[in-house]
Amino acid sequence: MAAQSRGELYDIGYRHYEGPREGRNRARYALWTNGVRTALGIGRGARAKILPILLFASISIPAAVFVMIASFAEGFGAGDFAGVPRHADYYDVVSILILLFSAIIAPELLCADRRSQVLQLYLVRPLTSADYVAGRWLSFFTIVLALVYSGQVVLFAGFTLSAEEPLEYVRENWLDVPRFLAAGAAIAAFTTTIPLAVSGFTNRRAYAAGFVIGLFIISAAVVGALTTCTDREVIVDNGEVIVDRCETLTGRWAKWIALGDFSSIPGVVSDMIFDEEPDSSDAARQVAELNDAIPVAWYLVLTAGPAGLLLWRYRREAG
Amino acid sequence: MCYIAGMATLIEAQALAKHYGAVIALDGVDFRIGDGVTGLLGPNGAGKSTAIKLFLGLIKPTSGSAQVLGGRPYESIEIRSRLGYMPEHDCLPPSLTASEFLTHMAQISGLPPAHARTRAADTLRHVGLDEERYRSIGEYSTGMKQRVKLAQALVHDPVMVLLDEPTAGLDPGGREEMLALVRRTGSEFGISIMLSSHLMGDVESTCDRIVVLEGGKVVEDADVSQLTQETETLYVEVDDRRDELLALLRGRGLEVGLDGTSIVIDNVVDADYDTVRDAVVDSGARLRRMAPQRHRLTEIFGR
Repeated sequence: MAAQSRGELYDIGYRHYEGPREGRNRARYALWTNGVRTALGIGRGARAKILPILLFASISIPAAVFVMIASFAEGFGAGDFAGVPRHADYYDVVSILILLFSAIIAPELLCADRRSQVLQLYLVRPLTSADYVAGRWLSFFTIVLALVYSGQVVLFAGFTLSAEEPLEYVRENWLDVPRFLAAGAAIAAFTTTIPLAVSGFTNRRAYAAGFVIGLFIISAAVVGALTTCTDREVIVDNGEVIVDRCETLTGRWAKWIALGDFSSIPGVVSDMIFDEEPDSSDAARQVAELNDAIPVAWYLVLTAGPAGLLLWRYRREAG
Repeated sequence: MCYIAGMATLIEAQALAKHYGAVIALDGVDFRIGDGVTGLLGPNGAGKSTAIKLFLGLIKPTSGSAQVLGGRPYESIEIRSRLGYMPEHDCLPPSLTASEFLTHMAQISGLPPAHARTRAADTLRHVGLDEERYRSIGEYSTGMKQRVKLAQALVHDPVMVLLDEPTAGLDPGGREEMLALVRRTGSEFGISIMLSSHLMGDVESTCDRIVVLEGGKVVEDADVSQLTQETETLYVEVDDRRDELLALLRGRGLEVGLDGTSIVIDNVVDADYDTVRDAVVDSGARLRRMAPQRHRLTEIFGR
């Protein structure tokens, strides 16, 4: 009979860690990956995945619809896109949807850490409050960017394959690629910053989401009422618009008041990047009458301002 | 500056002051904390929390310096990767498992993912949470949560760990278990500890040394054994002739008093035991009990 092997258990006690320590950069990277996983509900129950799936659907469906319209458009060729919604139109549609979903999903990244007070544990590790805010911001920015870019890639591929001469289409429209990259980054930065900035001031995700959505809806409604055309005169000659006159309640101040519709600002900037006339709303059309530098500066104020506020808030939190 | 392995002083306050407007939280204190377990004792508002925040680098001093592991944590945050901190308040995400949470916190302290997972499992085993580590923290009892809080402070194998009221909210049994774990952390794990508490019993049963803060000032800084030994008291019980023995002891220069039926002799040194023995023999009293009793810190600081 073979000798029976005898296993023995040893309590090796506490062992000190002698492996690598990667300091602040590892901490930043871990915070970023954790943020992406949290926002997407990865490693959580089914309930945590509902909103991210809806967000993904809200961004994918318009892209699919646009491609279908393009593929069925009669006479669609390399240089003929009349009546077919394109890259800038896609952003006009999804920027509002992303804004709504960001308002609901993004606050979880900050509110949960504040509510459970895990934040205190982060801030006593090799991370500054700025590292923390930047890590959480980048997590959500990455998700939004990946989603809008994937929608645009689908669109570009769809348009290319629908064209009679795909290579010709790419040659004539390659500029759309850097444009949708830049416009996507502008939209993602805006839609990430405002909800996160609001989240810095409450522990409840619902309050942050309610405030952001309320802010957008109320500002859009008030500005819409003040800048909607009460009387519009459009003269078309041989298919070309030669006069487009709009009378509003607020007259010559309408274009300034239109800046108050926060939700339209990323779309306006996106249209400027695509070098197209903003036509998503009356407010957007009014803003377009201003010098280009003004909506761009306003966009920067609305993005950098809340970002600065958020950093200030967390610097105070650390002390 | 960086931490030098084996150095004696881990924490050093030099003329350390922190003012919040007109409120003086710390008033130019000086103390050093070395290896072992040190208690930072004091009532609420004594400056303990301010001191901890300074040593963690969360705030800057108004004047003076707060050095930890040879550096100033408010100037170089990398020092924090060798420090652990267990806060008094709740600080755990209820939806995560202890295993996930500790792995994440190890990475936040700079450990690569594979090492972080191993350390998380090891640390949870050391604090007595082995089987339960895959359950959500929200389902844990208060005692188990305290263990996870301690584990997250130890997961990256710090040189020193700062524990803020580690027994807060625990029942007597849980409190004893936590204090035993703190003692193990200091003795078996070889991790130095600064334990902040307003409970003298906790400090007395775990700490080698204490720093007592009151009103932002250091009012005591000594070894616990030294403090308790210096005030050693001897209790003597006899069946008869108590008054004769009392008179003899007084006549031989001892500080003698009565506590119920016992004779109490304060500030006893080794030679006094012989004096007491001889006095008992000379008085002819029948000795029932003679036992030393060390003063508790509560008696010392309760005066």
